Amino acid sequence: MIKKVITMVILAASFTSCVAVKEYEKVSINDPDMALADKKSDRNTTTFHSYREAAVGANGGKTGGGCGCN
Amino acid sequence: MNFFKKLVLPVFVLGFTIGYAQDSTEVYKKRVLENTEVDFLSSYYSQDGANAAVSGGFGSEELTDATGTVVVSIPLNDDDILTIDAGISAYTSASSSNIDPFDGNKLADPFIASSGASSSDLWGNVTGVYSHSSDSRDDIWSAKASISSEYDYFSVGAGGSYTKLFNEKNTEVSVNLNVYLDTWKTIYPIELRAFANASSGYDAFIFNRNAIVGDQSYNPDFKELGSKGRNSYSLGFGFSQILSKKMQGSLALDFVQQKGLLSTPFQRVYFSDVPDSFYENFQLADDIERLPDSRFKVAVGGRLNYYINEIFVLRSYYRYYTDDWGIQSHTASLEIPIKIGQKFTLYPSYRYYMQTAADYFAPYESHLSTEEFYTSDYDISEYTANQYGFGVTYTDLLSNFKLWNLGLKTIDLKYNKYDRDSGLSASIVTGGFKFVIE
Repeated sequence: MIKKVITMVILAASFTSCVAVKEYEKVSINDPDMALADKKSDRNTTTFHSYREAAVGANGGKTGGGCGCN
Repeated sequence: MNFFKKLVLPVFVLGFTIGYAQDSTEVYKKRVLENTEVDFLSSYYSQDGANAAVSGGFGSEELTDATGTVVVSIPLNDDDILTIDAGISAYTSASSSNIDPFDGNKLADPFIASSGASSSDLWGNVTGVYSHSSDSRDDIWSAKASISSEYDYFSVGAGGSYTKLFNEKNTEVSVNLNVYLDTWKTIYPIELRAFANASSGYDAFIFNRNAIVGDQSYNPDFKELGSKGRNSYSLGFGFSQILSKKMQGSLALDFVQQKGLLSTPFQRVYFSDVPDSFYENFQLADDIERLPDSRFKVAVGGRLNYYINEIFVLRSYYRYYTDDWGIQSHTASLEIPIKIGQKFTLYPSYRYYMQTAADYFAPYESHLSTEEFYTSDYDISEYTANQYGFGVTYTDLLSNFKLWNLGLKTIDLKYNKYDRDSGLSASIVTGGFKFVIE
């Protein structure tokens, strides 16, 4: 597990070395479908997953608590 | 007085001067949110299967749920947003109806829904989020509070987050902390209530013993749960990075610690080393599920989105999850938005999910009464699930459609079909209507 986390951190750090994209170059990045999150309307689907599946977290949804779910 | 003149007054004057100078050199900043936004979200969920946890892993899992939510985001000023999120969810469940399957209307059977009080319930939630962005928009703080309630469950939650953007807003890091303090109203299977700690046991059993099929000396050693509270603490870290003009990705790492009542009080367990007793067609419980009062979860996930061209976008997601109950899981999903003109986008998607079983899981009639922890809840069994989805979004760029003073921005509709290899099948239809107040 620790190895996986370290790998992720190294991977994340390597991302920052990329050339910065200027604001005026972010037309594609700012497309609503490029958002790094689920759409609001998908929220109830994520909630049903948190009831029916053991895994939660790392997706912006519930992580346990606030419902009778896992 | 001299002290005031020599020190405090100059400081006051200097402070006033600086303040005036700042006021007189106003820097233009875009409002974080231009207009109040209102989202109406709804969904209809249905499922069926044959492994109901309420009847010890054997019985109907038929369930329907209808949810409606309103999310209102209000710009308080240039920098601050208040979001109020209120929702209600109504469900009917064959499984939970069989907490008391002996309603007298139909023969009690784990595959037939009872008409008892637990056959339906309402879940309500209100969440308030306040967020503040710095003048540079490089720092964002938020705080939230929530309450939610259903008949046997009440929850109070609070949390906060901090987000920092840098590298010309190409890089974003965030940290969030959430706490939920929940309380169960412990509802036990009907046949076990006579054997609870304060009850008179064998003599208080409400059924006609002569009608019991199998072991007529039914006398379970049932002990009520000690704790009724469940506290959940989560700490999350996020990182996102623009990788090129057409690609960006993010990583998330969540730690969750839960303490307290983590068993569901009305989920039955049948032991293989205890004689079976049936009343009508329903097997009487040997016990309820017993699970540890602590659980530590770790989830690490990543997203990678690629803008292929003006028509296609590739959205991918992967998550690895593990906890100290012995469960490991992989989740992967792929969605390819397809733009059809300026107004419509199609959303075909696929999601793969697998998990290993919790150490405490065993199927119907497989546990031994000598075990310390046990459950036959198939939600924490080993299985693989596939989900296929298709959605469509309509975008009204100029908000031409008006509803009173609400201008329509988008309509989202989506259908997902979810199938487990253990037999459970579910589908969900979701709808979202986004308006702005102009």
